[in-house]
Amino acid sequence: MDMSSSYQRVPSVRIREMKDDFLKFELRDTDASIANALRRIMIAEVPTLAIDLVEIEANSSVLNDEFIAHRLGLIPLKSEKAVNMLLSRDCNACDGDGRCDFCSVEFTLDVKCTTDQTLDVTSQDLRSSDLSVVPVDSLGQNTGSMGDAALEQRGILIVKLRRGQELKLRAIARKGIGKDHAKWSPAATVTFQYEPEIHLNETLLETLTLDQKREWVESSPTKVFDIDQVTQQVVVVDPEAYAYDEEVIKKADAMGKPGLVEIISREDSFIFTVESTGAIKAADMFLNAINILRQKLDGVRLSFDTQEADDQFGELGAHMRGGL
Amino acid sequence: MYSGDDDEYLDEDQEITQEDAWAVISAYFEEKGLVRQQLDSFDEFIQNTMQEIVDESAEIEIRPEAQHNPGRNNEFMGETTYKIRFGQIYLSKPMMTESDGETQTLFPKAARLRNLTYSAPLYADITKYVIRKGEDGEEEMEQEDLAKVFIGKVPIMLRSSYCTLYENSDKDLTELGECPYDQGGYFIINGSEKVLIAQEKMSTNHVYVFKKRQPNKYAYVAEVRSMAETQNKPASSMFVRMLSRAGAKGGSSGQYIRATLPYIRTEIPIIVVFRALGFVADKDILEHICYDFSDTAMMELLRPSLEEAFVIQNQQVALDYIGKRGSTVGVTREKRIKYAKEILQKEMLPHVGVGEYCETKKAYFFGYIIHRLLLCALGRRAEDDRDHYGNKRLDLAGPLLGGLFRMLFRKLTKDVRGYLQKCVDSGKEINLAYAVKAKTITSGLKYSLATGNWGQANTAGVRAGVSQVLNRLTFASTLSHLRRLNSPIGREGKLAKPRQLHNSHWGMMCPAETPEGQACGLVKNLALMAYITVGSAANPILVFLEEWSTENFEEISPAVIPQSTKIFVNGCWVGIHRDPEHLVKTLRQLRRQVDVNTEVGVVRDIRLKELRLYTDYGRCSRPLFIVEKQRLLIKKSHIQALQQKESPEGGWFELVSKGFIEYVDTEEEETTMISMTISDLINARNNPNEAYSDTYTHCEIHPSLILGVCGSIIPFPDHNQSPRNTYQSAMGKQAMGIYVTNYQLRMDTLAYVLYYPQKPLVTTRAMEHLHFRQLPAGINAVVAIACYSGYNQEDSVIMNQSSVDRGFFRSIFYRSYRDEEKKQGTLVKEEFERPNRENTTGMRHGSYDKLDDDGLAPPGTRVSGEDVIIGKTTPLPQDETGTQAQRYTKRDQSTCLRQSESGMIDQVVLTTNADGLRFVKVRVRSIRIPQIGDKFSSRHGQKGTVGMTYTQEDMPWTQEGITPDIIVNPHAIPSRMTIGQLIECIMGKVAAHMGKEGDATPFTDVTVDNISKALHKCGYQMRGFETMYNGHTGRRLNAMIFIGPTYYQRLKHMVDDKIHSRGRGPVQILTRQPAEGRSRDGGLRFGEMERDCMIAHGAAHFLKERLFDQSDAYRVHVCELCGLIAIANLKKSTFECRGCKNKTEIVQVHIPYACKLLFQELMSMAIAPRMFTKEVKQLKSDQSKKGA
Repeated sequence: MDMSSSYQRVPSVRIREMKDDFLKFELRDTDASIANALRRIMIAEVPTLAIDLVEIEANSSVLNDEFIAHRLGLIPLKSEKAVNMLLSRDCNACDGDGRCDFCSVEFTLDVKCTTDQTLDVTSQDLRSSDLSVVPVDSLGQNTGSMGDAALEQRGILIVKLRRGQELKLRAIARKGIGKDHAKWSPAATVTFQYEPEIHLNETLLETLTLDQKREWVESSPTKVFDIDQVTQQVVVVDPEAYAYDEEVIKKADAMGKPGLVEIISREDSFIFTVESTGAIKAADMFLNAINILRQKLDGVRLSFDTQEADDQFGELGAHMRGGL
Repeated sequence: MYSGDDDEYLDEDQEITQEDAWAVISAYFEEKGLVRQQLDSFDEFIQNTMQEIVDESAEIEIRPEAQHNPGRNNEFMGETTYKIRFGQIYLSKPMMTESDGETQTLFPKAARLRNLTYSAPLYADITKYVIRKGEDGEEEMEQEDLAKVFIGKVPIMLRSSYCTLYENSDKDLTELGECPYDQGGYFIINGSEKVLIAQEKMSTNHVYVFKKRQPNKYAYVAEVRSMAETQNKPASSMFVRMLSRAGAKGGSSGQYIRATLPYIRTEIPIIVVFRALGFVADKDILEHICYDFSDTAMMELLRPSLEEAFVIQNQQVALDYIGKRGSTVGVTREKRIKYAKEILQKEMLPHVGVGEYCETKKAYFFGYIIHRLLLCALGRRAEDDRDHYGNKRLDLAGPLLGGLFRMLFRKLTKDVRGYLQKCVDSGKEINLAYAVKAKTITSGLKYSLATGNWGQANTAGVRAGVSQVLNRLTFASTLSHLRRLNSPIGREGKLAKPRQLHNSHWGMMCPAETPEGQACGLVKNLALMAYITVGSAANPILVFLEEWSTENFEEISPAVIPQSTKIFVNGCWVGIHRDPEHLVKTLRQLRRQVDVNTEVGVVRDIRLKELRLYTDYGRCSRPLFIVEKQRLLIKKSHIQALQQKESPEGGWFELVSKGFIEYVDTEEEETTMISMTISDLINARNNPNEAYSDTYTHCEIHPSLILGVCGSIIPFPDHNQSPRNTYQSAMGKQAMGIYVTNYQLRMDTLAYVLYYPQKPLVTTRAMEHLHFRQLPAGINAVVAIACYSGYNQEDSVIMNQSSVDRGFFRSIFYRSYRDEEKKQGTLVKEEFERPNRENTTGMRHGSYDKLDDDGLAPPGTRVSGEDVIIGKTTPLPQDETGTQAQRYTKRDQSTCLRQSESGMIDQVVLTTNADGLRFVKVRVRSIRIPQIGDKFSSRHGQKGTVGMTYTQEDMPWTQEGITPDIIVNPHAIPSRMTIGQLIECIMGKVAAHMGKEGDATPFTDVTVDNISKALHKCGYQMRGFETMYNGHTGRRLNAMIFIGPTYYQRLKHMVDDKIHSRGRGPVQILTRQPAEGRSRDGGLRFGEMERDCMIAHGAAHFLKERLFDQSDAYRVHVCELCGLIAIANLKKSTFECRGCKNKTEIVQVHIPYACKLLFQELMSMAIAPRMFTKEVKQLKSDQSKKGA
């Protein structure tokens, strides 16, 4: 295979901000296909754990069994373990109905309301068989700082019980990916934008009065430009705030000053924003995504020209071979 | 600004703002709710009408008939007469008597669950008089009072003043298992909720003049449908017609005027009618018609009529003339005259009077009819408008039940009479308790309410569809159903006029909400603030008029009529008045002080010099602010008092009784000048020269209140093309939401409940009163209007699968099945049990495994397909002759789940019904997740089905990472012009950002520019566009996409309920053609048009396959000699035609089974359809050979 070196690039990543559930970084020297592949994998193919099977023993709440099962499924679970676990359909140790440490984690919930006050059943009432797999609790980590309000509101609400109502169930969490069901997606949001390059035409700008400048600056819905207090010149404060809405360009045209600003979107650098549900850290999400992408590419490379391609890609196998 | 009025400086007396008007509107709905017309109408029936009906019934008088008693001495024992009189009636609270005789109060919840009727027992005091006549002729009277005799059960309207729920607090209602938002207004008959649909009719006692379209025999027709107030007869119509010039042949001047009288076969010249009434002289007659003799044009029009009646110059002759044309033939002149007199007195214009000495009044009214006819003929007045809503009356629950009750009570008294007569004749002691058959009223009312056939069963003149099952799909659909009305005009009638929106519908009928198709414009819905009068007595008005120097006919000479104003009360001319201005002013003043009923309509027609007063029921009216001197009477201080609830009785009624607001009916509305907004009034004050009017009398409370329930849910309806609002009004009724808060306690046959309903981001003010926020029917979806992948063409939408996974538009579907252990005779009784294959015949295909020992599937069982969910058996009659024990002792009567459905058993109710029989309801639940083919719609008549679902990563995303939940195609917008949806979208975006609700009430000063500016401030492109990226490739999309939150509804049409295919399957028994319909696993019809296609295409074999082989292929054996069907025994391979004694020459013919049926049917009527397989000629020659 003739790998043309002219296409070869060395992409680089620069992390701007990193928190447990938030990541902002730049991805440079690559193109949209790679950036989008990473985005798609982060959303749909990074595995996590989520409740997938619920056995209800007693439910006298106002919500029916299916409703509660669905709500349980959507609770994000701490899924650092997920990478090392097996998908229950691939698990040879069990027949896939749980109670198997390789592919599942068991939860139990047993609540009954005995007081006149409404009882909130939350994710914190879930008892896990594995202490590393627990419902995420964004408030739980910094309860101290949040004060009373946080103490009262604990965990993710599942259902409210009134006096005499009861909820007792057993739930099994399994590994899965967001493609199969959104509950397995670790991503709250993954988005990127093309990095914009903004060139102001200084000479043309000088022909504007201060009021005109101000008007022009205000025409952008986001705060991209500002007027320097001292020099009274228009300056670009935050190019990345630009949402490609072209409002400023239209405004310049309307003011009879076309070409006041030139905005180019760079096709090879991307600014990523990743928000995690808390199932896994945002940074891990990205790293896992790279690993998964690599595995996929390995799969393509290994099965290249072989019969496995057919298995790997199913019906598309022949196309893959023919195409490459 | 400050035009010199001192009070303008005072904060207290400030003009109220449009915002303040909403406080008034809130007060209205808080006090009245949304079904007030139903409740008030029913209460009027219970509290007054029922007693009146009982009182108006005559005494029952029974005297023994002379009996023929052979063998016994006919000695005179003195005659005894009995008189029965019904007195005071009593109604208790709704009750229920169990089969064991225990009686207890009934609550609606129990009635719904146990299929009972929510009705209250009605009792009446009955007085019996026994009058004995001794031999000496002296009378002896004995009186016996029977207190509170049970005479029947009356269904009670929920939340009416006799309902058990009346004035219960929300908490109590919840504890009784009721929804606190439900407002009642319906009945519960055998467990099903029934609404009485208001029926529209033309108003009675009203003179209408119409111009006939030429060529026609008549030029003008005046008609009155006269009905006395307390009369149960159908209205008696009177027509006065003026012949057209061409129509009158022979006559020199032509245009005779003639009248039709009831029971008189031919038309009578009007002058003859006058003479028959006792007004003989021409002058007298003319005075009654045209009042003013200087009006030569009118006098001239009467000339031919006078000439026509020249030969009849006295009352007796005139009466005889009329009598001859009556139904009696061959009687003496005296009798004819008496008959004619009776007709004139009792049948002609009964609303004027049916007593004696009404002639003057009748003559005046008759003259007035002619006067109106002539005015129209002279072109001084336009013809009347049949479609004007002032000429319409609405029969609500009260009058409808009143009519029914009157009829049934009559029947009851008739039966009582019949029974007692029998008792008296046979000499038995009479017992009233046995005579009164309570079942007459109980089952009579129940029958009509249950079936909707208004009137007695199996009699003529029943109206169908008056009572309907209350729609419980969405809360809005329920409310809308309770405010519906129907015009009983033939649906086929091509006349468009009655279907069109009329200007007099303003504020009374919703301009948007009407069905499409055959009932379009005939079925209407009340506007939010419309109210239907319940009627009040005319007497107080008459007394008032008397006091305020109204002159009646006995006191006046007709000559003064032209100078004074004619006064009509409920269409009946009662007198004249010389100072109408003052009279009207006082009357209005009294009405505003509630000294006169607020419902009374005061119409002063200055041009016609008439003052028409109305107190009757069924008029549409609506409240308006009263304006005096271009200024509202209500002031800021009153609003503040209202909001702070200063006085304990404060509220709507106080506003009315203080005279700030009054009810104006459709006819009175024509005599008012109403300003649309409060600011119109302010403008009119500030620039009187530019003002539209300087004589405003009223002001609209808010123009958006012209809409009805479903129309009020639409945001920005004033920015949509009008049919779109109509479409949404229909679709809003199919949206899923939470239809009542107590849905878990109800066992509706069908119910849809949305998983996560949301209150809309963009709301209207009226929604607050419709409780749309508390019981919503939709979700605020992020909607992008874009072309993306092409899977949203032709009104389909792309939906985000990840959103669906997270619960977007998930819903629960409930279906309830019911069954009872029926009893036949005393011994044979059905039983719930698990049928046993050993001893039960007719067992179903499905599985019986899911049944418990009690024969019912327990809650939590997963059921599907044809699983049996209620097991029931009937014992088979034991054959006693056979000594051998029968194999089967029972027959299976189980209920299976619908074959195409599946779900979980949600709840089982086992109870007893009214007959004390065991009765079960089983509710099955299934979760419906949106999928390709399910139907959704926005609130702007933009419906579409899901064409594709994409997961989040495949959806386009904005720079912020937002992916749409729904992508609709931009082609859905331009031709439909639903601009409201676009405005809703950008307002939704602003609302979401600011964390507030957007106000989309129509006719306010919100503009797109305002919203855009707010959106710009939120940091978005001002028109709602955003740059988006392709989810598949990651590339930026060339066009910016219009995206924002829009309220979407899930409609009840789902693919899973419709999907259907069939290869082979069940056939009809009669024709052996495939069955029809999905529920029967039927075939798909290859119809006429499809057939035409195949013929045109020349696909003969395919056609034969479709219509014959795949349908009802059959073969018969035909005798070659006679061509008739022969006997064939295929097993023994013997064939025979007995008629021809032919066993050999028989052929087999393939024909459709339906064809065979036809032949047999023809044979049954002695027509022989012969089938010959050889050529006829040859056959004939064969026969002739044989004959030779």
